Amino acid sequence: MKKHLIMLTILLCLALMLSSIGIFAAGSQEEAEGGQVLRIIHPRNSGNWSPFIGAGHEIRWNSLQWASPMYFDKNGKIQPYVFSEWSGNADNTVWTFTIAENAVFSDGSPITAEDVKGSWDLCVRPSTQHLRVDLSLSGVVGYDKVSLGETIEMSGLVIKDSRTIEVTLSKPDPIFYQKIATALIPPVKISQARDSNGDQITEWWTPKNGVVVSGPFMPQDMDLDSGIITLVKNPNFFGPEPKLDKIIITTVKDEQTATLLLQRGEMDAHTELMTTTMIQDLGKEFVDGAMLAKGHHFWFSSNKPPTDDINVRKALIMAVDIKKMFEIAFPNGPHQPATQIVNKVKGVDPDYKEYPYDPEAARAALAASSYGNAANLPKLMFVGISTPSHELAAQYIAEQWRQVLGIEGTEMKPQQDSYQGPDQMQIQIFRDDVGTRVPDMVSYLMGAIHSSSGNAQGKMGGYHNAKIDALLEEASAKSVDDPARIALAQKAQRIFRDDWQYIPYYYETMSKWAMPWVLNFDKNDDWQVIEPWAVSIDEELKAKMTNGK
Amino acid sequence: MWKYIGDRLLRWIPTVLVVLFVVYALVFFGAGDPIKLIFLRAPGDIAYNAERIEAMREAAGLNRSFLVQFWNYLLHLGQGDFGNSLVSGRSVGSMIAKAFPITLQMGLAAGAFLTIFGTALGVIAALNHNRWLDNVISGFAMGIWGVPVFVSGPLLMIFFVKVLGIMAVPYGWHGLFNSRVILPMLVLAITPMALIIRQARSALLQVLSEDYIRTARSKGIPNIQIVVRHMMRPVLSPVVSQLGIIMINMLNNAVLLETVFGIPGVGNLAVESITSSDYPVILALVFIGSTVVLMVNLLVDIVLPFLDPRSLSKKETV
Repeated sequence: MKKHLIMLTILLCLALMLSSIGIFAAGSQEEAEGGQVLRIIHPRNSGNWSPFIGAGHEIRWNSLQWASPMYFDKNGKIQPYVFSEWSGNADNTVWTFTIAENAVFSDGSPITAEDVKGSWDLCVRPSTQHLRVDLSLSGVVGYDKVSLGETIEMSGLVIKDSRTIEVTLSKPDPIFYQKIATALIPPVKISQARDSNGDQITEWWTPKNGVVVSGPFMPQDMDLDSGIITLVKNPNFFGPEPKLDKIIITTVKDEQTATLLLQRGEMDAHTELMTTTMIQDLGKEFVDGAMLAKGHHFWFSSNKPPTDDINVRKALIMAVDIKKMFEIAFPNGPHQPATQIVNKVKGVDPDYKEYPYDPEAARAALAASSYGNAANLPKLMFVGISTPSHELAAQYIAEQWRQVLGIEGTEMKPQQDSYQGPDQMQIQIFRDDVGTRVPDMVSYLMGAIHSSSGNAQGKMGGYHNAKIDALLEEASAKSVDDPARIALAQKAQRIFRDDWQYIPYYYETMSKWAMPWVLNFDKNDDWQVIEPWAVSIDEELKAKMTNGK
Repeated sequence: MWKYIGDRLLRWIPTVLVVLFVVYALVFFGAGDPIKLIFLRAPGDIAYNAERIEAMREAAGLNRSFLVQFWNYLLHLGQGDFGNSLVSGRSVGSMIAKAFPITLQMGLAAGAFLTIFGTALGVIAALNHNRWLDNVISGFAMGIWGVPVFVSGPLLMIFFVKVLGIMAVPYGWHGLFNSRVILPMLVLAITPMALIIRQARSALLQVLSEDYIRTARSKGIPNIQIVVRHMMRPVLSPVVSQLGIIMINMLNNAVLLETVFGIPGVGNLAVESITSSDYPVILALVFIGSTVVLMVNLLVDIVLPFLDPRSLSKKETV
């Protein structure tokens, strides 16, 4: 018995030793913070905080660490940042950008034209996996070869001197300077970020690798396993001095936990929180924000049965009371119901003919289709039904189709890969958003309905209307001040309307997702905090609002 | 005993190879690679350029055939290299090295808690057989067994944090001895505790009718002494034999629990990697998971004979 007891004691000691291994490794992440500290909840921990991802939740905080070439302020006006001056030649094929004299990295070294060129070349390389680089740089001569991994440098980027870079485009683009006013392609210290093969160095953007940044805050600590990022003031920031002393970004996936943390004032802001009771839980100010140039719609595939038949699409659209659908999905806002594709930008068509809610006409259209009646239709499948609001909208649509047209077979899932087998490639309805990061109608429509867009190719099943393509291509070459630019774009949008390709849903408001005590937390169409140096915490208000919670 | 351990280890190798192959095939042919997934899920403004996607896949080494990729994976695994994450590019080994101790600490703490309290409750229930206390404990055990952690976790959090307001919001990992760990540990322990309560209760009920217990009582030995000295050992044997099943149960629950409470353990890592089809991470977790289960079962096999020597003689007979 004694022997057995000794063995059990040894085993117990072993277990305790094992259990203590990680205590010191993980360390305590709780410490008292002094000064102005902004605590942000982040919903996902991808472990990748490279500024060159181009998609995902992490990029929404790029402006904290990285100075963009230029940026749009809250009035939609472009402002100098890394670049202080820019100009295009007469036909807008060659653009020259000058780096601000005082633009420096956090180690005090100047941001050079070599850094800009190297950063942009690196963004385009396939190994970098930047998903939105084409929105900014696809017009640069040599883009295709670098994007396919054939070469390392774009021949269209030429360093004129240490502060000047010249960009040659393959075709005229009057708004090229607007397209690069984004935090998605910030200049970085290229000697830190790129290896000898022209590819991105793993985790070059971490403090342990001595990263230097250009934005108002610099990383102090990045615990990529726990998903906790600590940023402090960049002492060499070339813009106004930041008001915050520290920013702590913490990964909390569970929405209920996140809501509790915000209510109790343990956290101040969230990257993107979507719950049906958000307004009741956190107040209207939390979700309020600026309207984005971005719309969510239900897109029909033009090459999958039965939505490849225009009469079926007509029937499906006219059977839905679109305004009612919006009210059900967002009874408390903050978004606005959609009609046409574009919103917010100059050129929104005042004469755009909205799709009618007309059950009789819907039934007639279905009868006129090659299917004749609902019984002959294959199952209708939705994707993009990823939030409770989208579920409500999609269920309302399905119910309207059942009541008006007698359609029984519908299915809805969050993602395309949620469907298995052949169904995955037969989906007819995609709920997704389109928009623009520059205040330009042509850019908006090029990304939504032009046949080269991801939306036309992916969500609308290879949708192609030669007239629309020609009109938009013609419009894109016109100068921003030329009225024909907008007229051509409006014409393209009307033609698209007559193709009955979408059920309008809503225009998105970029919620601040910040508690009322977080001041100057404005965001732009680039999904960035516009001027992070101006953000501060009203401690008195915070104490008052969280007292007793 | 050593022959037995060696035999178990040898049997484990082909099993884990088959499991890895099946999981690799499921991820490869099911969800597809992470780059394809990114574009399948991409918002409308991300252009679908088939040539560029192919170039990205080539840069990540994903354009090679299934068997070539799997064989390369095994070669690296043989050298103790789990490879790099396809999503973040980070070393999978270092990711697991950080996550595993956290889950291990949670698991061991929860294991100790549920064993001590589960056994005690089972003993109390058995000593009060068919009385109200027995009914309450047995009812409690049945109730907690039926409630999944994704229900009990948020409910208990609302109750303790919002309704009672007696604890800080439990999220993240702040070390094992931080008060924020109490609730997640409790939730992790509570479901398998039902198993221990029932095992301890039924084992003790059997022991209670044994002759040597009656003899001890007739000698006038105090009840507490009888329980501790004469009853606990036979009660612990079935309890220990359940630890393998409990460990699997806790590993499964860790996936949900760590997501709810934002604990950066292997469960959280599993959710992230499965969502993004990051198969080097998924495979490493499968490998680690199967190793843990094997080790726990081995440990149970080693400990059991100390508690009940009859089990060794049974094994030798077989």
